[in-house]
Amino acid sequence: MATATVKPVRLNLVEGEAQAQSPTQRVIKRFVRHRAAMFGLVVLIGVLAYIIVGSFIFTEAQANYNDTSIRLQAPSAEHPFGTDRIGRDILARTIYGGQISLMIGFLAVVVEVGLGTAVGAIAGYYGGWIDAILMRITEAMLSIPSLLLLLVMAKFFAGKFAPIPFFGRTLSGSVIIIILILGLTSWMSLARIVRSNVLSIKETEFVLAAKALGVPNWRIIINHILPNTLASIIVSLTLGVATAILTEAYVSFLGLGVQSPTASWGNMLTEAQEFTVIKNAPWYWFFPSLLILLTVLSINFVGDGLRDAFDPRSDNKV
Amino acid sequence: MKRRLLLVLTLMLALSLVVAPTLAQDRKVVTVSYTQEPLTLNPLYVTQWFATNVIDMLLTPPWFIDDKQQAVPVQVTEIPSVENGGISEDGTVITLKLRDDLKWSDGEPLTSADYVFTYEMIMADGNTVSSRDPWETKVASVTAPDATTVVITFNESFAPWLTALFTASPAMPEHTLRPIFDAEGTLDAAEWNKTVNPGSGSFILNEWETGSFLSLVPNENSFAGTPKLNEVFFRILADDGTSQNAALTTGDADIGVFLTAGDAVELEGAGLVISQVASGYNEGWYLNVNPDTAHPAMLDVNVRKALVMAFNRQQIVDDLLFGKTRVATSYWDGSQYVRPDAKPYDYNPEEAAAMLDAAGWVDSNGDGTRDKDGTELVLRFIASQRQIRKDVQAVVQQAFAEIGVGVETSNYDNFFDTYGEGGPMSTGQYDIGEYSGSSQFPDPNTADFLCSEIPSDENPEGANWIGYCNEELDALFQEQLKTTDPAARVALFQQIDQIIFDEAVWVGVWYDADLWATNARVIDAKYSGADPFWNAVNWDVSS
Amino acid sequence: MGRYIIRRLLQAIPLVLFVSLTIFTLLQATGDPLATMGGRSPTKSEDKARLRRQLGLDKPLLEQYLYWLIGNDWAKFDRDGDGIAEAPGTRYGVLRGDFGTSIVTKRPAMEIIVDRLPNTLLLMVTAEIITLFFALIIGVISAVKQYSIFDNVLSGFSFITFSMPIFLVGFGLLYIFAVKFREWGLPYLPTGGIFDPQEGRSVSQLALHMILPVATITIISVAGYSRYVRSNMLEVINSDYIRTARAKGLTERSILYRHAFKNAALPLATLIGLDLPFLLGGAVVTERIFAWPGTGRLFLDHLELLDYSVLMGLLMLITVAVVIFQLLTDLMYTWLDPRIRYS
Repeated sequence: MATATVKPVRLNLVEGEAQAQSPTQRVIKRFVRHRAAMFGLVVLIGVLAYIIVGSFIFTEAQANYNDTSIRLQAPSAEHPFGTDRIGRDILARTIYGGQISLMIGFLAVVVEVGLGTAVGAIAGYYGGWIDAILMRITEAMLSIPSLLLLLVMAKFFAGKFAPIPFFGRTLSGSVIIIILILGLTSWMSLARIVRSNVLSIKETEFVLAAKALGVPNWRIIINHILPNTLASIIVSLTLGVATAILTEAYVSFLGLGVQSPTASWGNMLTEAQEFTVIKNAPWYWFFPSLLILLTVLSINFVGDGLRDAFDPRSDNKV
Repeated sequence: MKRRLLLVLTLMLALSLVVAPTLAQDRKVVTVSYTQEPLTLNPLYVTQWFATNVIDMLLTPPWFIDDKQQAVPVQVTEIPSVENGGISEDGTVITLKLRDDLKWSDGEPLTSADYVFTYEMIMADGNTVSSRDPWETKVASVTAPDATTVVITFNESFAPWLTALFTASPAMPEHTLRPIFDAEGTLDAAEWNKTVNPGSGSFILNEWETGSFLSLVPNENSFAGTPKLNEVFFRILADDGTSQNAALTTGDADIGVFLTAGDAVELEGAGLVISQVASGYNEGWYLNVNPDTAHPAMLDVNVRKALVMAFNRQQIVDDLLFGKTRVATSYWDGSQYVRPDAKPYDYNPEEAAAMLDAAGWVDSNGDGTRDKDGTELVLRFIASQRQIRKDVQAVVQQAFAEIGVGVETSNYDNFFDTYGEGGPMSTGQYDIGEYSGSSQFPDPNTADFLCSEIPSDENPEGANWIGYCNEELDALFQEQLKTTDPAARVALFQQIDQIIFDEAVWVGVWYDADLWATNARVIDAKYSGADPFWNAVNWDVSS
Repeated sequence: MGRYIIRRLLQAIPLVLFVSLTIFTLLQATGDPLATMGGRSPTKSEDKARLRRQLGLDKPLLEQYLYWLIGNDWAKFDRDGDGIAEAPGTRYGVLRGDFGTSIVTKRPAMEIIVDRLPNTLLLMVTAEIITLFFALIIGVISAVKQYSIFDNVLSGFSFITFSMPIFLVGFGLLYIFAVKFREWGLPYLPTGGIFDPQEGRSVSQLALHMILPVATITIISVAGYSRYVRSNMLEVINSDYIRTARAKGLTERSILYRHAFKNAALPLATLIGLDLPFLLGGAVVTERIFAWPGTGRLFLDHLELLDYSVLMGLLMLITVAVVIFQLLTDLMYTWLDPRIRYS
């Protein structure tokens, strides 16, 4: 006969209730047990540290300082990651480029999550013809191959945004463009997930009770429904950042992403595309690629861990 | 079952890997790598370089411009001139004398009637031709008094005739195309546009698989001699900087075009022959002197000269272009129209600083940037999105900061848009604009410096984006346009060039000849900037 | 069932129209095809004005969309520029099967697309089959031997390839197997295209040239699919009825293959069904790197030229395919899973 291992429930004799763990604590505990996710978290923190601390060690002026006589030099003591085509230090550029890539990843996901949650929640909650129209629009956008839509939108917005000042740096307008188009082409799947979550929560008792009490709709959505879809949103958000960083690299590769002189990991790879560089200056593409890989990989691990952590059935898996 | 399938597949792959490289046949094939696919092969509809190249091999014009920029007769017996009666005294009538042995690849004779037909097709309303220039505005009539004579009458003497008459639109076969035009009302959808059969070139099109390749084979009925090669194969690759070079290095392609300087260095190391082909292009700074839009400092010629002298162009050529070209001396560098003993301005930042001081631009408020009468010397430096230009902008920004000149850089996708379309250059939203420009190569004529071409609401298509108006220069330009005597024309342009240099309104950055790579096994390939594959009939390969 | 199909198809029509209008507007607003038409020698203004009139680009956007949709042979146009509209149009419109002609090559848009389609399908279908093959193997074994070294290594590897930009994989393979192998005297693979002109066309040439692009696509896709298979398989393995089957004493093998696998495969079938229509769009980046003449490259090239007939043709083809495949997948799902029934 198999003995089931049951977690002992500690009885708090003074208060007379079982001291169970709160849902958040359970989630965190499951996450911590997930080895890959912890590894990912550590690497991610490392990358963030690299970027943040790095920007105190190197000023942006240093990242942009060019000296064509030392162009395409291999890694050395002075330039640990080597120099680029006009003699700028690649280490410094990956730091500032990383700020841009991560910022793009994060903000694009904010757009995605904002749009997706809003559309999904409204469609699911109100139902009827609002739901029908919103869902048809969602399906329509899903029918178009995303990369092709991205390219069309990139061409559409190209050159329409002026450079923007941002915390003392001047960023090319193409940064806004890429954030917009990444967000606008990825909100659809989240909208569907949120909608189905909302549909199932809508009929629960506490929502019906809130309605009966006359709580306004928007309050119900924000205070009651959304918190219960949080799991999907968080997982989506995390994985979305990884996808956004990768997609930025693609779009920059095709020439429509972040434009110089603003550096991003993606457009550093585009600059490195020339055959001469691929053959003779592997450091030019090695370091940005490594950083993209590490960042995206660790985010994927963390996202995977979060997904497992939010899934109560994963308690049974050792 | 799955395992067996896997085994069979692996065996097939292994077999083909071994067999493939050893099956080299003994045919003389030259492979050209193309980074764009020709849009169509009917010359009326396309000006795309990749298309006109192939068309040159399938349809011959009256003459080719060879690699020394000289005209070589092909369909005519001699190049028209005043001496041989080909050009009338007043220059308004040009007569082409065709060879009497011209024929199409299907054996039909090629006559002056085909030339008149081609003119008709250019002017027909049913055809969406890419350009009617100069036929619509400059030509009064095209007639064929007999089978080997074509007479073109102009409204007034037209100097660029050598590069404008039937060179972009060679004679097309009337016997094939007239029935199609009569039936459909247009040649737009004609099958001939994809096959050029019959053609008049030394090659005919064997096969065209879209997106993949074009295959040209010798024309047995060619009046210009039979090619030595068995096939010229155009392989269509991606324009990404790597595929072409990989193909050239491994020998999958023999000829590659439009290389970057870095590619050229690499390929030279791999044993390919690099050629510089003058195509009229020179990378230059266009300095805005339009008083309505330019920074006030730009209106002072000494400031402009100072800016040039603070710009180390040789360093750009050496470091960014790997020494694969040189500093451009003139808008017409690479041709015979350059002023004598042309030399670029020296690089002398100390003197530049002194000149700026003398012009009144000093840093009176200690912020690191010069100023005068309360205006800071901060200039707008714009270019297109090409990487090399962004690199130059970064270098210049830093160099100019060292002598107290501030630079704001911008890059535009719509850089070449006209005034009517709101383009940044044409609307004057800049002080220094850098791009690679050319005259109407191989003709030296250009509209870029004419007073009448300054863009405005009344003239939204104006080409004089620097807003320069100099009456003496204008008069010279008007005169050269009517001068059909080649030597006289050269003299006029040398004067023009001197004025532009002295005024420092256009400054050469680098001589932008096209860089080509040729595999050492290809013999006798001479490339012309105007008609690149003009001597394909002579190409050969060594075994 | 029949009514359900018809209802779905009817619902799809406004969707497809909406997509077509959106993309048409986007494309038109993106820029002017005449601006890039000249290439190195920009089009002169008189010619631009004439071409705009001849190609119908001077009409307002909605009018152009109308002509695209239902043709213009019922309207009159000004052919010779005298300001008087006297000649009827020549297009029949998409609803009558005429996708128009390419602005730049003057050939019918559908002809151009159909020319490239077989190449794309050859590449994508092969890659899809090989991907599925490996994804199933890896996914199932990873799930069965969960957390073993095999699982960890493969999962790690698939995460890595999943996190890499595809062009890195492509260029890497190109560089190593095409350029470097040749340098080192080893048997090498070609750098691009679909055959070597010296050899001529043959099946072996085609197979040879397919190796690298298919490998690139497969490496990236296997990761995603195998994770999906693995998580479905895990879910099924841990479910009650499998536990019951074990308790009943069935062999592990029969449990895995007869019960678990089939049920895990069902969601995968859905995934494949939904992915299939997107194969028509080709692999834009891979086709570019390996110069494969497919629809992905076609799209890129014509996007540069803003040739909206070809772009609209391709996108609408994919959209319609998506709608049809979504319906087919839903129907197949019903057929495979008796618990689901649509009214």
